[in-house]
Amino acid sequence: MSSINNNSSLFKEFIQNAVTSPSPKVQKNFMEVMGSIVQIFKKICDEEKLIIDLDYQGKDYWKKAKGFKSCFVDGGVYSNFLSSTAPFAIRAKSFIIEPEKSGKDREKFEDTVGFFGDLYDPNNNIYDLSEDPYEDNQLLTKKKDAARITFEMAAVVRHVYNKQNFKYCFLHGPLQTPIMPFSGPEFPLFKKSVVKNIIPFFKVNDENNHERHFINIYLNSIKFIQKAKFPIYGIVERTGSTIYLRNLLIKAVKKGVLAEHDYDKTVSLIKRYKINDGNLFELILKNCQALKPIEVEKQIPSKAWGEWQNQMDSFPKVFVGYIKTNKNQSPIRIESLTYPKKLNEDYEYILACSKLLPSYGFPVGLDIVDKAARIPSWLGKTAKGYYLKYYLKIALDGNDKNTITSALKSISHGGRSWQNRPKAGKVSK
Amino acid sequence: MSKENIINKMTKLSSPWADIGTILGQTSISDYMFYLKKFKAKKGDIVAAESKLPTGEGKVINVIVWGRIMEIISTNDFLPNEATKELTEENINIQDTILPLTKNDSICTVKNLGYTENVLGKKMELIPLNYPVSPGGAVKYPSSQDLSKLLNADMKSKNPIFIGNLVARKDVDVFVSADNMVSRHVLVIGMTGSGKSVWVRRAVRELMEKQYPILIFDPHGDNLGIVQKAKKLFPNHKIKLFYPKISAPKNNKEVIFTLIERLGNKLTEPQYEFLNWLLMNIEYETGSNLIDYIKILVQRSNTAAQNKRNKSSNGLQGASHTGASTMGVVARSLRKVEKKLSEMEQSNKSNMDKFPHLKFEELPDPYSQPEKIIAKSQVSILYLKGYESLPSSTIVSILLESLFNHRSVSTNVIPPFFTVLEEAQNFIPSKSEGQDGYPSVSTIKKIATEGRKFGVGLMLVSQRPYRLDETVCSQMNSYIILRLKNERDQNFVKKTMENWDNEEAKQLPNFANGQGIVSGQITNIPLTVQIKFDDDLTNDDIGDEDFINDVKKWEDNYVTKSKKILSSQFDKIFKSDQRGKTQ
Repeated sequence: MSSINNNSSLFKEFIQNAVTSPSPKVQKNFMEVMGSIVQIFKKICDEEKLIIDLDYQGKDYWKKAKGFKSCFVDGGVYSNFLSSTAPFAIRAKSFIIEPEKSGKDREKFEDTVGFFGDLYDPNNNIYDLSEDPYEDNQLLTKKKDAARITFEMAAVVRHVYNKQNFKYCFLHGPLQTPIMPFSGPEFPLFKKSVVKNIIPFFKVNDENNHERHFINIYLNSIKFIQKAKFPIYGIVERTGSTIYLRNLLIKAVKKGVLAEHDYDKTVSLIKRYKINDGNLFELILKNCQALKPIEVEKQIPSKAWGEWQNQMDSFPKVFVGYIKTNKNQSPIRIESLTYPKKLNEDYEYILACSKLLPSYGFPVGLDIVDKAARIPSWLGKTAKGYYLKYYLKIALDGNDKNTITSALKSISHGGRSWQNRPKAGKVSK
Repeated sequence: MSKENIINKMTKLSSPWADIGTILGQTSISDYMFYLKKFKAKKGDIVAAESKLPTGEGKVINVIVWGRIMEIISTNDFLPNEATKELTEENINIQDTILPLTKNDSICTVKNLGYTENVLGKKMELIPLNYPVSPGGAVKYPSSQDLSKLLNADMKSKNPIFIGNLVARKDVDVFVSADNMVSRHVLVIGMTGSGKSVWVRRAVRELMEKQYPILIFDPHGDNLGIVQKAKKLFPNHKIKLFYPKISAPKNNKEVIFTLIERLGNKLTEPQYEFLNWLLMNIEYETGSNLIDYIKILVQRSNTAAQNKRNKSSNGLQGASHTGASTMGVVARSLRKVEKKLSEMEQSNKSNMDKFPHLKFEELPDPYSQPEKIIAKSQVSILYLKGYESLPSSTIVSILLESLFNHRSVSTNVIPPFFTVLEEAQNFIPSKSEGQDGYPSVSTIKKIATEGRKFGVGLMLVSQRPYRLDETVCSQMNSYIILRLKNERDQNFVKKTMENWDNEEAKQLPNFANGQGIVSGQITNIPLTVQIKFDDDLTNDDIGDEDFINDVKKWEDNYVTKSKKILSSQFDKIFKSDQRGKTQ
């Protein structure tokens, strides 16, 4: 209970619960349940010897690690575009640094992959608007996400393909994303030129359109980076996932120490009390402690659509661990495609990178590349200008009256503007 | 903007200018900002931007816009503040970590100075800008040679004099117009130790080279070094060192009245009336010693008082209604004035005695012998140390008034000359100082306004500019502004100088010795200059203070030693004095 009281993010959770359920009885109940859950999972972690202590000696550590050449990858998307189109400005940047070198040899901000224009094949339903605007938005979000995930992974692929001599490579975000939501029938294919741009080794088969589908490109990319000569980690900052704790329970079921009936009840309870890996392990782990990675399945065939269900099993399993990088933040999630050969050494490097942001507690290299990868609005606006002209050209070529009207409107109106708001109180002269 | 490199195509340039940055998206007529390539320029540098301007005839011409870097701001967006905190707390060397070091962006703010037409063969003359520079244009770093050419070509002086180098570019020599300096007046301001004397020595030396007559009023002896050393450096020059004789012109008894009124006791109306009667009735010969004259006044008023008491009316025509006591009060006041003046004269002499190797001469009568004070190839220094501000003001007023009259009435008696007035706040105090009525104020005001016509130039030197008379300062056409830390002094500069902005004011407290802004008609572009230090003209007798060393070497003299011994013996006696205790 004391660790609950001392913990900031759990306190936030507690306040949220308190606000939504103002009864003191309910609050007390939440604290009791949480306390019990923490005790159970702490016991499981101890029995499985999952908790490890990491060493961090600031100055001495960095003297030792200054020869490490590391790469940090993140993607950026220009998101202010037409409602019915997919992203047209996207890139993935790499921040590559080898501290012991000097000047330009020391650090490099690299546009590893980038693309301006239509990512998705226009022969699909990309320009069609759905009858249901909600559905349309959902699809648009998916198209954006798929593009970002693909390009981020493509940057990692490019580093592996180019046989870089990194000590480490880190991706901002999960190393494998659940791709079931992208398996719907309406999801468009990437253009051929895009595929060639993002995966240099991939040979596009004209016969099989499915090969250009996001899921297939992503699968090929993931399989390719498995061959990397250097460790690759995906690091997730805020984790509302329950993947680690659920897999711990599954492990317990498999070992026979937990009845399946109790598993179901526990999972249900976890859902009801909004318990997740972040807030649970925040209470279990101390500063500079980590949870050893466990192997988990990210893709669930039953949640995928039609023929993509079979493809789900082709995705490799992922190793997921956690590191608590400071006293006040929930642990960060570490993902890899193989079990780390030098677990302590690797996690200590991630810890040291996070210690450089003592309050934020996230690897500073990823924070840096996150800022670098963002597409500034001036660049996005320029790209948008080109895109609109292109859109009009397609509309004119198609000779469809409605599409032409829509394109003209898009060009002549910049969207709703605050300047058009009616004035009140003061008569303008 | 033409794709051609306009500037480098100018055939007159000594060498191609380096590209150092690109102008940001918003510019104005007065300034612009640009992205600077790392370490390619620094604050204070003069830079050039390629731009286009509309002409009155509807044409557009290519120009070079010149400006000065006023501020540079460096940012590293990829270096989080909390990371620097961790580095500090844990004593981590940033070089060892994964934090980026190369992402420093430097943005410069440039104040426009003017433009030059970059048409082949055209003179590099600065013209005020009337159209903003083009955003996105290249910013260049002009070569030292070309920059020097610009600064000096624009000055339009027949007699440029070398004053030093640009602070930001030591290899760029700076010249100012001697013609404008000697005719249009200069104000030199800076706190103690800022380099005012450095500037004065520089200016005086250069004018000596041109044989220009110079008159220096020196209340502290800062310029005695010129006397000692200039004789060797300028063997054909006359370097005259004068001490003042307090005298007045015959027809200007007002000056004498003011002196008596200010230095003496406060008088009542009848007492003033009697003083006036004395001044009107007792003859004063031009050029005669004023102290002697006051002695006569004392004697006469005493005699008059005595006669009054004896009920004799000898020599009292017109003052017969004045009482003996009134006359006595005036006599006492006059004695006080006489005593003060005598003390000051004595103090001045004592100070002169400190320099036995220097030959001080009594100041010749400026009415009858001005040529002894002002002459070609002559530097005259009037040593005022020991005199309080009012008598000094009187001396300055009388001398300058006389010399100015010689120039304005008949220009053949003395040549044009240049006056250096040190500690100017003592001679032209502002009204707020409560020192109005100083005789030198009106004289200097007159010279500041009309001096140009008659070849009488002024250089006012002060460490307290806010205490200076604003009307006189507004007549100064050029400024040398050295280090100023006092806020009131900085505000004075802002008020007095046109086109002065806050960025320039920010520099003032940070100038090193001899660094300052040279502005006004002696140089059309305000320049931040390191003034050349003429160490061969410094005063060996009054060097830098070395009191710590003085104390280390200190030995009591014979009198002090004896006094201390005697004092300790008496202390013993006082302690043993039992009677004193019982009382």
